[in-house]
Amino acid sequence: MVEEIKPRVSVPARPGWLSNLLPVVFIIWGFVGVYLLQLAIDSTGKERMREKVVAELMYFPSGKFVREASIEYQQVAADFVWLRGIQYYGYHLMTDRKYEWLGHVFGILTTLDPKFIGAYHFGALTLAWDAHKPNEAVRLLVRGMEANPTNWQLPFYAGFINYMLLKDYEAAGIFFDIASKLPGAWLVVSRWAAVSVAKAGRSEAAREMWLDIYRSTENKALRKLVIRQLSLLKFNDALKGLQQAVDRFHEDKGRFPRNLQELVRTGYVGKIPEEPFGGRFFLEGGKVRSSTPPSRRG
Amino acid sequence: MFGRISGIARNTFREAIRDKVLLILLVFAIVVMGSAKVIQPLALGEESKVIKDLGLGAITFFCVLIAVLVGGRLVYKEMEKRTIYIMLAKPVRRWEFILGKYLGLMAVLFVSMLIMTAGFYIILLVSGIPASAYLLWSLLMTAFELAILTAVAILFSSFVPPIASAVFTFAVYFIGHLTRDLRLLAAMSPSAVVKGISEFLYYVLPNLSNFNIKGEVVHDVLLNPQALALSALYALVYTATLLLISVAIFRRKDF
Repeated sequence: MVEEIKPRVSVPARPGWLSNLLPVVFIIWGFVGVYLLQLAIDSTGKERMREKVVAELMYFPSGKFVREASIEYQQVAADFVWLRGIQYYGYHLMTDRKYEWLGHVFGILTTLDPKFIGAYHFGALTLAWDAHKPNEAVRLLVRGMEANPTNWQLPFYAGFINYMLLKDYEAAGIFFDIASKLPGAWLVVSRWAAVSVAKAGRSEAAREMWLDIYRSTENKALRKLVIRQLSLLKFNDALKGLQQAVDRFHEDKGRFPRNLQELVRTGYVGKIPEEPFGGRFFLEGGKVRSSTPPSRRG
Repeated sequence: MFGRISGIARNTFREAIRDKVLLILLVFAIVVMGSAKVIQPLALGEESKVIKDLGLGAITFFCVLIAVLVGGRLVYKEMEKRTIYIMLAKPVRRWEFILGKYLGLMAVLFVSMLIMTAGFYIILLVSGIPASAYLLWSLLMTAFELAILTAVAILFSSFVPPIASAVFTFAVYFIGHLTRDLRLLAAMSPSAVVKGISEFLYYVLPNLSNFNIKGEVVHDVLLNPQALALSALYALVYTATLLLISVAIFRRKDF
């Protein structure tokens, strides 16, 4: 009979399957917990974060300082300011439509990266139309022109703002003229130079210029801004057309129509035009109005 | 069990305190905070803000360096010097070893932070700036941030050499502060895959910007207690998870 030899030293058992599995389960639960907590933090801190974004911008002393501080990473710094700027714009577009710091942000951004053409485009148009600061927008573009003397779009935008908002047709003509002589400029730009010299304030010209702006950019937010402005032009045209019909009706019949449908029935207008902001036109005491409040137009 | 863990922690602490790296970093931190005094005349009326910003910034930055540089070699050094064999020959469980190392390093960070904070408040006092206790909230949140970062350092340290570990931990630190921006960037992308990946990373990677309230405390903005409490809990859960992963990796090593 052979005696079984038992090893003197006991080999430690390998961890069993349970003790192998348990940590994995805990780790997964850990990440689930982290996920849920982050959701909770985001929901408490959303306002705080947004306020913080603004606060951060306020305390950006100036683009020059940030430029020095970001040493060789200026482009990266510019990209982050860009993101913050878009976030700032988007937030205020959805809420109060006040853009107090927009000019400051784009000033910093273009100081960090003076060749960031997209930033000039976006900054100038949002400053001019959303923040109602056309002069600041033109200044931004002129600074852009100094840093990018061969870019034709910058003077084109400057001319556009002069033409549409500042109504300075002479300045607009000069900017369009500069733009038309730069490499790559579209043929239409020289035509705009002529149009603005003729001081035409027609909405048809404005519509076509907006369409050119639309074609000149890939930026979605900017394109949305163009669409809003085009809708506004359409809105104003429709309102003006209806009002003229009402006035003609009044002259002919000595009374105002009871409603807009009466204009159609009596043949003063072919049909009631569609209201581009989703509301409807109606008549109130001889004046044509829209159910869309002015703050939601454009 | 507690005796063994605290033994390892105490040893880790002693070792780190003797380390020249720690001393150099502490001196640097105080010098940087002190340099705010030199900048003072250039700050144009914003002295108090500049000194506070620089102080809080320096404390955070140097604590991060300590966590990354000292933490990055904690476990690996033991393996390299073979001291781990002596350690594990004793009745020490592997998770106790990891936890002990972690707590030791946290103690080092706590003491360093205490020293730097004392230096910071002395500088505030010397500069005649009201040394409000409100600033301590920011340092408390930094401590939670460091808890996560130290766990990251330990995790890397358990399987890669110190320099790589330091680089990786620093990368996590950097990305941890940018996840929100990355998510915003990805939100603009038309690709659902990019969006999905960024969402995934946003929740999986530590979101260290949860702990950054420097702007608020410097400008005396009212803090949101709920957000602070949740962030603290977040740090604890995240840290525990990372330590579990470290232990799981460490257990698979053959010593």
